[in-house]
Amino acid sequence: MTPGLRRQRALAEYTLAAMARRRGKNIGLVAVYAAVVFFVASAMLFSAALRREAAIVLSEAPELVVQNLLMGRHELMPGAAVETLAGIRGVAGAQGRLWGYFYDRVNGANYTLMVPFDPALIPPAGAAIFGEAIPRTRDHPWLGAPLFLSRHPGDLVRFNAAGQLTAAQGLVSSDLILIGEADFRAFFGLPPEVYTDIAVTIRNPREIDTIVQKAEALLPDARFVTRDEILRTYQKIFSWREGILVALAGASILAFAIFAAEKASGLSADEAREIGILKAIGWDMRDVIAMKLWEGGLVSVGAFLAGTVAAYLHVFAFGAALFAPVLKGWSVIYPDFPLAPEIDGIEMTALFFLTVLPYLAATLVPIWRIASADPDQVMR
Amino acid sequence: MISLRSVTKLYNEGRPNELRALSDVSLEIGRDAVTVFKGPSGSGKTTLLSIVGCMARPTSGRVLVDGRMVSGLPETFLTEERRSTFGFVFQRFNLIRGLTVAENVALPAAPLGPDPRALAARIETRLEALDLADKADTPVEHLSGGEMQRAAIARALINDAPVLIADEPTANLDTDLTHRFLDIVADLRAEGRSVILSSHDPRIWQSDLVDRVVGMADGRLAEVAA
Amino acid sequence: MILQTPILALLLAAALSNAVALWTAWFGLRVLRGWDIASGSRAQLRLERRTGLASTLFGFVMLIQIAALLLFVFNADRMATLFVGAMCAVGTLNVNAYGFPALYLKIAVFFAASLWLILDRVDRQGRDYPLTRLKFSGALLIAPLVLTGAGTELAFFLGLKTDVITSCCSKMFTPANDGIAAEMTGTAPATALWFLGLAGVAVAATGTVSLAAARLQWLFALAGGVFFAAALTAIVSVISLYVYDHPNHHCPFCLLQREYGYVGYALYVPLFAGTALAMGAGLLSLFAGTGSLATVLPGALRRLVWASLICHGLFGAVVLSVIATSRLVLFG
Ligand SMILES: Nc1ncnc2c1ncn2[C@@H]1O[C@H](COP(=O)(O)OP(=O)(O)OP(=O)(O)O)[C@@H](O)[C@H]1O
Ligand SMILES: [Mg+2]
Repeated sequence: MTPGLRRQRALAEYTLAAMARRRGKNIGLVAVYAAVVFFVASAMLFSAALRREAAIVLSEAPELVVQNLLMGRHELMPGAAVETLAGIRGVAGAQGRLWGYFYDRVNGANYTLMVPFDPALIPPAGAAIFGEAIPRTRDHPWLGAPLFLSRHPGDLVRFNAAGQLTAAQGLVSSDLILIGEADFRAFFGLPPEVYTDIAVTIRNPREIDTIVQKAEALLPDARFVTRDEILRTYQKIFSWREGILVALAGASILAFAIFAAEKASGLSADEAREIGILKAIGWDMRDVIAMKLWEGGLVSVGAFLAGTVAAYLHVFAFGAALFAPVLKGWSVIYPDFPLAPEIDGIEMTALFFLTVLPYLAATLVPIWRIASADPDQVMR
Repeated sequence: MISLRSVTKLYNEGRPNELRALSDVSLEIGRDAVTVFKGPSGSGKTTLLSIVGCMARPTSGRVLVDGRMVSGLPETFLTEERRSTFGFVFQRFNLIRGLTVAENVALPAAPLGPDPRALAARIETRLEALDLADKADTPVEHLSGGEMQRAAIARALINDAPVLIADEPTANLDTDLTHRFLDIVADLRAEGRSVILSSHDPRIWQSDLVDRVVGMADGRLAEVAA
Repeated sequence: MILQTPILALLLAAALSNAVALWTAWFGLRVLRGWDIASGSRAQLRLERRTGLASTLFGFVMLIQIAALLLFVFNADRMATLFVGAMCAVGTLNVNAYGFPALYLKIAVFFAASLWLILDRVDRQGRDYPLTRLKFSGALLIAPLVLTGAGTELAFFLGLKTDVITSCCSKMFTPANDGIAAEMTGTAPATALWFLGLAGVAVAATGTVSLAAARLQWLFALAGGVFFAAALTAIVSVISLYVYDHPNHHCPFCLLQREYGYVGYALYVPLFAGTALAMGAGLLSLFAGTGSLATVLPGALRRLVWASLICHGLFGAVVLSVIATSRLVLFG
């Protein structure tokens, strides 16, 4: 070790010993600081997780969805459009989708009925595959009991259970009912050759814009929603909310910075005397500043780690329990499944900037003031 | 060798409460000697010691240590000079409470980046020489007055400073402990160190150990006795 | 304006930097007027202690600026998903006219700050602080740079509108355009690599000479500057191709993405650090005649040259490993 490093080590050791002697005060400081970090970090981790979740869900969505509009509202899509779209150069495939909502008068719930693309998921005629929430809310007496849906009084349609979707499939599946195309059309009274909308897959994502332009010319009444657009909207919404939360937390950061500056400048007589002694026995201003920076560094890193770990547990193990009441109301896709834990470098850097910089900035000047004490003052 | 040339020290310079603590003091202090400043309270002894020991800068005049001008040095370098030349024992000892004797003694070495093992060995030797080895791990607030002083001396010498400066070292000590202190001074001299003291204690400046007594009054040197 | 955490963090960093830069500039004026190292007066002592504060604060801000440069680029890269047409940082920076100027100013601040820190470090080792006036004249020059940088950055963030269709790297780094980016892209891969190799040899040679002769560091600095230009050209013209395994993708920013193992950071961090250190050595060599630095300067120069050579070596190693592990065959 070079003398420079050994000096830092000696200063750090002194700092640790000095902090241990004022344990109560330092623990209090770290606790308050960690609480601030916890608040900001929870907000960030939570929104980042939602952003990621949205991206994952959307990654399975088609690149482009085409809806028919009538009087500005969503209308059924004539099947001919499928051929038109599939004929555009660059389109890998176009498929009419059938999905709709069903209001269950028995328990007031809303289900999503859908004809799946995946042939493995298409149930035989008269049967359905449904999400795990449905048998639960319907009090099904046994696993695999048939599902009865009533569209109006006196009406009853029976679907045999052909399987169940598991909770692990997350976000969208719990209220889902998958049925075959013929059953779907019969259930909703749909004529053949119309679809809810059309999913278009595109080989090269760089060509989406040109394909949309061509399709708009062919289907002037349709609305085109690209996956990137939805993704952007989600990203914007979640980033914006995270920003608001962090800006709110800014108030607490500011309050904490003021508190820290107070603490750093309002040294107890004891501490001021100690610094005076150190200067008198041969410590330079730089040594004192370095020592105090160690103290600040230990406090902030300790608080940063404690706050971040607590926030991580809060968001990923306890489902952001403290934020849920606030966020549930205005979240587009509030998840009731565990968020996939992930730590992101840029978020952590930003968090470090937002919480540690104000602390260091607030304490540097008071530290310097203490460190520039006259060395001869303890002589009398 | 420490030389002061026309050193003047003003406190609160330029303000209405300006105070001339030293006026035009010129003085040479040789190595290998025990020098005592004596004088009434307020005569400027502490001020003089702090300038001699590079703890404070004179308002005007020059200070030379072994021929090097130190009075114009920036604070950092003045501190370096001080660290390599002087060890201080303060009137009120100024040990840091809550730390043990050994930890206190180690403090002046920290800025120099000491090798921990060599430092520990140095501390042990120093404490043994001062009869404090068994108190190494005692918090300093549990020490007696004499022990505190010896701990302060150990701390002053840990960087192996050739000059020990002590301000009123016996002000709080009884006769026994005063003699004990003089024994330590004798040992230091035998090691080849210089000692500079301030005192209004006759037991000090009448001791045979003292090579030179410098009288002070009103910030000037009064009479110089050998 | 897009309210996002990294943006808030960058704005906070900018605000702190501005405050410190302004204070340092104001204090610099006082130093230029009142600095008199020979005086033992109380006022001089106070000034001296304040220079200690200025160094600490300025050093703190410069560290922030270096981290902020990384965060800025990282964030621009990340935000590309928000803009139609953006694939990487280039798209984000092109959303309005302030993006690239903000980046360039940040880079300028990085270099100025590094030089200032090197100057400060050496100055504080000279017994009469011989470079203090120079140092604070420098702070007076850096302050406007920091302020303009912060202003441009703010304008950039305020002008971030997601409905803008921006143009990305494929439009910017193509030989078909005019301008310096196109020139760099258009440089033949072989030429760029030769140029880089020669500049590398020049850096090694001048470095060795300045270590052996303990002078001529300015020559090393010059070589470092040339190497920097050569390296950027080579990155755009050929190294990027190797990273992307693609004969036409020239972007120097996509390198920073996760898909490519963040290799861009491994390239840029040693390159920028090495260049800054070389320039610092060149700057310091100008003060070789200063009396109180006579004992300090040779050691400082040697360390700077060594550190810079190590950084250049790291850069070279990363370049070689990129070329070696690429599946793209450009030559032979
Ligand atoms: N920091 C200060 N500011 C203003 N006046 C001071 C300061 N320090 C000392 N003085 C004054 O300078 C004069 C000399 O003080 P000094 O402490 O040197 O005297 P002394 O000889 O050590 O006295 P004592 O024997 O009581 O310790 C005194 O009048 C004191 O009040
Ligand atoms: Mg006194």
